[in-house]
Amino acid sequence: MSLHEIYFAGSLLLIVAGLYAIASKRHLVKIVIGLEVVTLGVNLAIASMGVRIVDGALVMDALAQSMIAISIAVAAAITALALSIALNIYRHYGTFDIRKLRRLRW
Amino acid sequence: MVMIVNPLNIILILIGAAFLIVILDPIFRRARLIEFGGVIASLAFTATLIILAIEAAAGAAARTVIFGPDSPLTASLKLDALSIYLSMIFSGLGLMASIYSIRYMLFDVEHLPLDDLLWIRRRELGFDRYYALLLTLIAGMIGVTMANDFFTLYVFWELMAISSYSLVAFRKWSWEAVEAGFKYLVMSTLGSLAALLGIALLYGLAGSLRFDAVKAAVFGGNIAATFSLAMIVIGFGVTTAIVPFHSWLPDAHPAAPTPISAVLSGIVIKTGVYAILWPMFRVFGPATYGFGPILIGLGILTMSFANIAALMQTDIKRFLAYSSIANIGYIVMGLGLAAHILKAHPSEIGPAALALAGALLHVLNHALGKGLSFLSAGCYIIRTGSREIGSLEGVGPRMPITTASLGVGLLNLAGVPPLSGFWSKLLIISAGLGVPSDSLMLAATIIFILNSVLAAGYYLWLLQRLAFKKPGSSGAHREIKEAPPLMLAPLIILAAACIMVTIMLNPILQFIQNILEVIM
Repeated sequence: MSLHEIYFAGSLLLIVAGLYAIASKRHLVKIVIGLEVVTLGVNLAIASMGVRIVDGALVMDALAQSMIAISIAVAAAITALALSIALNIYRHYGTFDIRKLRRLRW
Repeated sequence: MVMIVNPLNIILILIGAAFLIVILDPIFRRARLIEFGGVIASLAFTATLIILAIEAAAGAAARTVIFGPDSPLTASLKLDALSIYLSMIFSGLGLMASIYSIRYMLFDVEHLPLDDLLWIRRRELGFDRYYALLLTLIAGMIGVTMANDFFTLYVFWELMAISSYSLVAFRKWSWEAVEAGFKYLVMSTLGSLAALLGIALLYGLAGSLRFDAVKAAVFGGNIAATFSLAMIVIGFGVTTAIVPFHSWLPDAHPAAPTPISAVLSGIVIKTGVYAILWPMFRVFGPATYGFGPILIGLGILTMSFANIAALMQTDIKRFLAYSSIANIGYIVMGLGLAAHILKAHPSEIGPAALALAGALLHVLNHALGKGLSFLSAGCYIIRTGSREIGSLEGVGPRMPITTASLGVGLLNLAGVPPLSGFWSKLLIISAGLGVPSDSLMLAATIIFILNSVLAAGYYLWLLQRLAFKKPGSSGAHREIKEAPPLMLAPLIILAAACIMVTIMLNPILQFIQNILEVIM
């Protein structure tokens, strides 16, 4: 298997794991963690497209690097926002359990 | 006179104003001028609108601006007729929403139960952040329409998305808003990530993300490109609220403050339409990738589902939210018809152009009509304190200006001639009947007509209940006054704009002609 394929397979694995967490977990913070895992998977997919071996050394394309850096920053903003909304939900209900929420139907 | 404006400056005006509001807030709060945020936001939107209008009058010549050295790796922005058209709609509705917010947000806080009000007063009201987020929301949407490569598009998309999540959850003292905000955040972020995965695959195929480079790389058509197109459409389709991915919208749009509901329903979902339209028509090309029938199917599913669901709503804001989904269905079906004609009947350019023009005109009509309806609904909510259509019955005669504006908006959405909502639907219908031998298009057009009639029925029914019905025993509406002038002004401007679009249909269609030259 080439380097691209190994990276890409790993990224798909991470995406599936994150989606599983979002679909099955009942805890708001665990859902946010699942979202973060999916983001990491997509970042790894970008890396798998940009990675090359030049003269035996691992080289990452400049565009892929900047895409991953910005994507990490965006993910950090979204995670912070998601956690702050989760905190507000906790203030209203006193629980992080989504089954206790009134209208959270996916 | 051709004025050369760097597209980045238009975005920087809005983001700069957002920073200004947040920085100056402590000074103005000490001077007890909490309305100033709305004033600065309105001025910034006005400036943007003027620059864009000058550009449009100068002929909207398409051009690109590259930041840094001209290599396929650097970011770049473009400005063409389509981005000017959409940006003008976006900043226009943003201006109306920010003028309206100046009074509305004060009422919104005053109508809280006393305990909640104390809870808020102890902390802060956060009006400065409200206007800053509104500005970055519109800046993100304008940036999406001006992006010249997929990654710039993604970055501005996230600017828009993060602002809209915060604004949906802005009324954090209400359980509805925080729940809907969380749901919207999770679903829409998953959508953006799906789109980013598609963009990553395109990067692997093309080695660059410029639209031109990607277009050259996907020209022949292959399986990886088809997969990444599907991911992009699904991903952006979540925020566009195409039906299998719509379930966040009926919760999120009503939960936001009413001016934000107007912006979300009127234009944020149109940004999704652009993010689907541009890759499909400009980069991938409908002739190579036969996505026309899929889009037609999605459009029919979206409009039929949403129209039936709208009938069952008792909450006026949820009702309007479902009708937004239905209108997205009309627009998506217009795009699908154009793609299908270009693929299956390459000689029939005329009907394809009609379908695209109809879809683009409907973007304008729906933005005006839905913005007007939501803002009018906000006036009722402020004065009666209720969102239930049943308890709003018969309130019309007490608030004549609001009701008249709502009437113009609903009639425009219903497509009652001669208002412009009628002409955009007529363009899509005549495109659908343009190739008589094609039974798929014929069937789709018949369903479209049935849906339009059903939608017209329930808009008029809503108008009849609000304006003409005798109030029930529960609410006599005796003490209800007309909304304050600063809230009525945006309504009157938007109602006048609905009528102006009808009068100026010819120049607008000529401008859409320029857009079609860019897309097709």
